[in-house]
Amino acid sequence: MVQTMEMINVSFLTDVERELILEVLRRDEELRRLEEQRVKKLKVEFLDIKRKGAKRTDGSYSEHSCGRCQEPLGRLATSNQCPACKHQVCQTCRSIRANASWVCTVCAKEAELKKSTGDWFFDQRVNRFSSAPGHDLVRVSLRKRPAMKKRETTGEVLLNSAELNSSLPGPVPRPRLKDLAVGNSSPSSERLARGTTDSAEKASLSSSGRTDTDSLHSSPSGHRKADEVNKSSPAGSTASSVAPLTKTHSRSGSTASTETSSLIHHINVCSDSLNDVDGLFKKSVRRVHKISDFKPTSVMDLRKDATEDTGVSMGDRSKSVPGLNVEEEEEEEEDIDNLVNIHRRTVGNSAYSLNSSRSTLGSMMSVYSEAGDYDTVDVSGDIVFSLRYDEGTQSLAVLVKECHGLAYADPVKMKCNPYVKCYLLPDKSRQSKKKTAVKRNTINPSYNETLKYSISRSQLSTRTLQLSVWHYDRFSHNAFLGEVEVLLDCHDIDSGHEECVTLRGKVASSSAKSAFAQYKGELVISLKYVSEIEKPSQKQRGRKAKAEDSGELHVLIKEAKNLSAVKAGGTSDSFVKGYLLSSKGKSTKKKTQVVKKTLNPHYNHTFVHKELSLEQLKGMCLELTIWDQEAMSSNDFLGGVRLSSGAVHLKEGKKEWVADSTGEEVSLWQKMMQFPDSWAEGTLQLRSSMGKAK
Amino acid sequence: MLRAVSTMTDGDYDYLIKLLTLGDSGVGKTTFLYRYTDNKFNPKFITTVGIDFREKRVVYSTNSPNGSRGKTFKVHLQLWDTAGQERFRSLTTAFFRDAMGFLLMFDLTSQQSFLNVRNWMSQLQANAYCENPDIVLVGNKADLADQREVQERQAKELAERYGIPYFETSAATGVQVDRVVVTLLDLVMKRMEQCVEKPTPDTQNAASTAQLDSAPASQKKCAC
Ligand SMILES: Nc1nc2c(ncn2[C@@H]2O[C@H](COP(=O)(O)OP(=O)(O)OP(=O)(O)O)[C@@H](O)[C@H]2O)c(=O)[nH]1
Ligand SMILES: [Mg+2]
Ligand SMILES: [Zn+2]
Ligand SMILES: [Zn+2]
Repeated sequence: MVQTMEMINVSFLTDVERELILEVLRRDEELRRLEEQRVKKLKVEFLDIKRKGAKRTDGSYSEHSCGRCQEPLGRLATSNQCPACKHQVCQTCRSIRANASWVCTVCAKEAELKKSTGDWFFDQRVNRFSSAPGHDLVRVSLRKRPAMKKRETTGEVLLNSAELNSSLPGPVPRPRLKDLAVGNSSPSSERLARGTTDSAEKASLSSSGRTDTDSLHSSPSGHRKADEVNKSSPAGSTASSVAPLTKTHSRSGSTASTETSSLIHHINVCSDSLNDVDGLFKKSVRRVHKISDFKPTSVMDLRKDATEDTGVSMGDRSKSVPGLNVEEEEEEEEDIDNLVNIHRRTVGNSAYSLNSSRSTLGSMMSVYSEAGDYDTVDVSGDIVFSLRYDEGTQSLAVLVKECHGLAYADPVKMKCNPYVKCYLLPDKSRQSKKKTAVKRNTINPSYNETLKYSISRSQLSTRTLQLSVWHYDRFSHNAFLGEVEVLLDCHDIDSGHEECVTLRGKVASSSAKSAFAQYKGELVISLKYVSEIEKPSQKQRGRKAKAEDSGELHVLIKEAKNLSAVKAGGTSDSFVKGYLLSSKGKSTKKKTQVVKKTLNPHYNHTFVHKELSLEQLKGMCLELTIWDQEAMSSNDFLGGVRLSSGAVHLKEGKKEWVADSTGEEVSLWQKMMQFPDSWAEGTLQLRSSMGKAK
Repeated sequence: MLRAVSTMTDGDYDYLIKLLTLGDSGVGKTTFLYRYTDNKFNPKFITTVGIDFREKRVVYSTNSPNGSRGKTFKVHLQLWDTAGQERFRSLTTAFFRDAMGFLLMFDLTSQQSFLNVRNWMSQLQANAYCENPDIVLVGNKADLADQREVQERQAKELAERYGIPYFETSAATGVQVDRVVVTLLDLVMKRMEQCVEKPTPDTQNAASTAQLDSAPASQKKCAC
């Protein structure tokens, strides 16, 4: 990221050298894209296997049945336990490792995934660069933010860096998506031939070109000379003697590799459009990736204009919103309700036309809406916008022109203060979020605001542009007024012509998107119901009557895996918050400590909920949500789980709703109740939304 | 153990393994990789500008511990080629962190390039993904026997001190070239296995005892 770039000084390169290096990096980008898609596919497949191979949802657990296939087990004790996940596992559901030990099939698959995705390597690398303070990368990053995203490579950073791109006369035009989509011959066979030979071609092209232009250097003596200079002083520069060679090399070399990259690009485009045809399943596949797998967040950080939206500096904000710091310091890890309250107070106090408070407002609302708690109205109207991709700056400009005939957020009072929020899905991080100004008292707002994303064209083809319209209300809930989604892989992003699209409601789109639609990672927890607590005071009382109520629920929050990155450096500072909900209301909030700078945090923290009976637990619901801690502003929602025995009725404040726990969320809860005094461990997929069914 | 795959279908591989060559300018890094990927020799010296890479797809097979037939995997090799020239140093070392294994090369006909191996080693230790990455030391241009300045014994000693394998190769004749890549790939694949096989220590105790508000977990770290 920016920090890394400070280290890689490329200013000494000549234009020709720069161009040559860029070509190499572009070839690398194509390979990376191929790899990204492969990894994405593997992860989706794995989640599937895991869901199928995990404990069933019917709650028919027994300590004496295999945790994977549910076949009955013998009476053998610990020898049945998978050393990695602790499930009791039968002989057939085991996988023998090279060192003759074994793990269960699901854990074996997980290990396999770590290998095939390269995560074994990236995990190690993250460890190193986040724990060695002496290192340059880290030194720089300590001043600002963590050094890098887990899977980010130098090639990627460099390719996206404005520095390397800027001084060029203009990047080689990228193939246009729609042009490529036509005339699809047999790309894979071409690629086959091309992929293996392109380096050879390049070499031969360059050597012949060189002979033509510079015979002096191609003579053995000339080469020897250059060789000698290099040897005698490894620190010395031999630029002058080598420069002419370089020039021809680069020119011929780049022709060859441009062709190659466009071919690979072509293939990717095709496979993406196939996904769309296939509808829901494939579509959800496309959505299942974590933010850290995507580059744009880093891309945007490199450009100055990206900062205008994602956040006015902390200093600015605290100046314009007096009292904000104090309040947030006191309540450093607020829950949603508190956050909203604090926010309302502060925003209410200052004019929200101020740029600074507007951005506070924006991040606030999205926390709110991500958690699924917002008012909805009947959607109406449409939105007018245009898209234009600029090759020169490698950026997408989204011009939000206007909306027509929006619904009133409050039909009785005819209230409507609409603004437009924009994301390049699946990235829902702050970097991806852009907003227009709020227009007051109108259902026909005119914005004419351009929201800019710095992103390469090839990355764009994996994205979906989401424009949503919201009513801003400083005293009440923000209301959702409608949205549109534009798949960018098959959309014209070159002509910049105006489009008018009818707004849709969330319901329509959310039928396709379950609470799990977006991959948010996993949470590993263990639950235990402790049936009887030996307390002298209670022993004296009528023990039989009271014993039931003296039980405790222990919730061990072990770790989270593959969390989304929301901090600029590609990490998150996360903590887990827990509530035990019942038909009577919610328990007190419990929180873990914050684990900084990792997407795979280990919390190892136990929440203890006291004075509970098993009977009570049946009607209860445990909500665990993960948040990214932001010192000076609102915490970001990273995902959550909702454990209960199924559709139990709950009450929060005056609102009543029904829990929608599914799969492992239900089975783990039931296992906990079925086997008091023993730990029930599970890995739960995180929900991307905690929306509640009323 | 390794054999080249003739067909390269997109994304149809099991592992993407990234290796990187480093060493002084002119020792033959580019020529070596060209020999490896294309089995050709280029006698001309075209110094590398900054960085480059080549690709090759190979089949890798393991030997199962119980003697049975091992598994085979398709491996896509991305072979990064770095410039040896000092002026590119800040750029090239930045690429070290992305590689899983390294070919540290010197020229058997240049004592100086051998002396610089130490410097390259410390560059690696500072910039690679971990402090002791997998490295193979390569003395190249073995075919130029009459110009040899570095004795095999010297090089072997150095390699032993670092605990890494040493090979003498010739990009001109192709001698030992495949062997070097196979050895390095093997080391990387073994490391990969080790990394995923260690059961994490914190999952060991969690299920057995009730830990109430335990201290923050010690960082999970692969010891390899
Ligand atoms: N005889 C002989 N010559 C070799 C051998 N390997 C490389 N060369 C020659 O050595 C010269 C330098 O080789 P390169 O591969 O370009 O050197 P390099 O290490 O890539 O150099 P930089 O890119 O500047 O870092 C070329 O002229 C090669 O033909 C070898 O094994 N035997
Ligand atoms: Mg070279
Ligand atoms: Zn089984
Ligand atoms: Zn297991």
